[in-house]
Amino acid sequence: MIRRRGWATVFCRPVLGVAIVSTLAFLALFPSRPAVVRAASSPAGSLPQVDLNGNNATPRSLEGLTQQNISRHYGKAWQDLADAFTYSSPALLNNYFVGAVRDRLATAISDQQRVGMHSRYLTQRHKIDVVFYAPEGDLVELHDTLQCELQVLDGEAPIHHEQATLHYVVLMTPSADRWVIRQLQAVSEF
Amino acid sequence: MWSSTTTVPNRSFKSATLSLLLCLSSVCLGQGVEFRPPSAVTAGQSTTISTSGSGDGTFYVLGPGHASKQKVRLGQDITIGADQLNVAGRYLAILCSTKCQSAAFYVSPTSPASLSFLVHPSRVPVKQPDAISGVAIPYDKFHNLVAAPLTIDFQLKSSSGEGMSRAVPTRYGVAWFRASSGLRAGSAQVAASIGQLSVRRIVQQVAGDPCNLRMTGQRNAKGILVQTQPVRDCSGNPVPDGTIVTFTENGPDGKSSVDTPVKQGIAQGQLLATGPVVISVASGVVMGNQLRMEAK
Repeated sequence: MIRRRGWATVFCRPVLGVAIVSTLAFLALFPSRPAVVRAASSPAGSLPQVDLNGNNATPRSLEGLTQQNISRHYGKAWQDLADAFTYSSPALLNNYFVGAVRDRLATAISDQQRVGMHSRYLTQRHKIDVVFYAPEGDLVELHDTLQCELQVLDGEAPIHHEQATLHYVVLMTPSADRWVIRQLQAVSEF
Repeated sequence: MWSSTTTVPNRSFKSATLSLLLCLSSVCLGQGVEFRPPSAVTAGQSTTISTSGSGDGTFYVLGPGHASKQKVRLGQDITIGADQLNVAGRYLAILCSTKCQSAAFYVSPTSPASLSFLVHPSRVPVKQPDAISGVAIPYDKFHNLVAAPLTIDFQLKSSSGEGMSRAVPTRYGVAWFRASSGLRAGSAQVAASIGQLSVRRIVQQVAGDPCNLRMTGQRNAKGILVQTQPVRDCSGNPVPDGTIVTFTENGPDGKSSVDTPVKQGIAQGQLLATGPVVISVASGVVMGNQLRMEAK
């Protein structure tokens, strides 16, 4: 027993000490790395908070089930959008974005990837007002006030960070089994 | 419009150390750098951002359909090309030297160049109140939604000359109308227009449910041959060929029926009846006359 303690005292403690000091030094010198990992893992799998008000929908009133579906699909669309920008993967847009809006977002993501940038939409809270629901139920227009934490990184270095309040005019249409986004246009105010 | 400028210190320890060294050696790039994004930009137009300060910097533009990064000389104007500003929406301009500054500006759509026009249904029975509806959405030449109020003229013209015309202002970029179908069957042209820009759709107006369904019967060797008079709707339009008419005979042997399509305006059926029978005719939910006959 005495010998074992002596061996540990002589060899293990200094090695452990060096390892701990090295780790702390590394974390102190490169603090941005763990932050990036946390940020990157944050948006994945977390559905944005969506609060949809369908009471102002005209000329057709919004049925309860339709309201739920639009709300759910819109949230998933934004989850995909955030992930697509975070992971520079335009293919993630294919489920809920169609037409010109999909192409534009894909171009923006490809551009960012080309120059080594990333955008992150974190902790999204969408407050949505349905302002138009077509007479035949084949088009819905939403006004989305999005509050989120917007980060822009060049490589791993943050170059922009803001608690943003963004306003979006959104057109959605029903497809085979979901509502898809056909227009997503930011405006300064409604 | 542009939002408040946000300053983001670069949190990277390495970058901070490098910046400190640069400042200490009196080469503190971008000290007192200012830049001002444009107050208003229209889609498809280039714009210039003026900067102050000296030295080199990196300029980023992030838009809804574009992202770029370029080296710039501080104190000189930075031009953002028209091709980078086609998509309406929020753009973020970021200028980094020792630290990063950013500002947002909005690109607004240009004048309408196309109309998205949804019309329902493609076939409609005549004389139906509010049966036709249309939604028009104006877009500019870059396919940006034009949300500014515009007036869209909706016109509905039937081949029989009936028509409707309505000027509807867009609300949040959308205008819509609802109209009743005409009295006469035939095609109706629905148009939405803004100035010289016009989009047309065709709605086929078809006869409604049969009305005043009448039949006659004639005994023959097989039983009774029944035939309708020309089948028309309540407005006098002949129902389309293929409309199903049902003849039902009720006699001593029980009840039997024959479904037959309208051909060239009338429907015909052979009933294998014996003895006295009561024959009725119907199409959909519309009942016609009854016949009491004695089959051979």
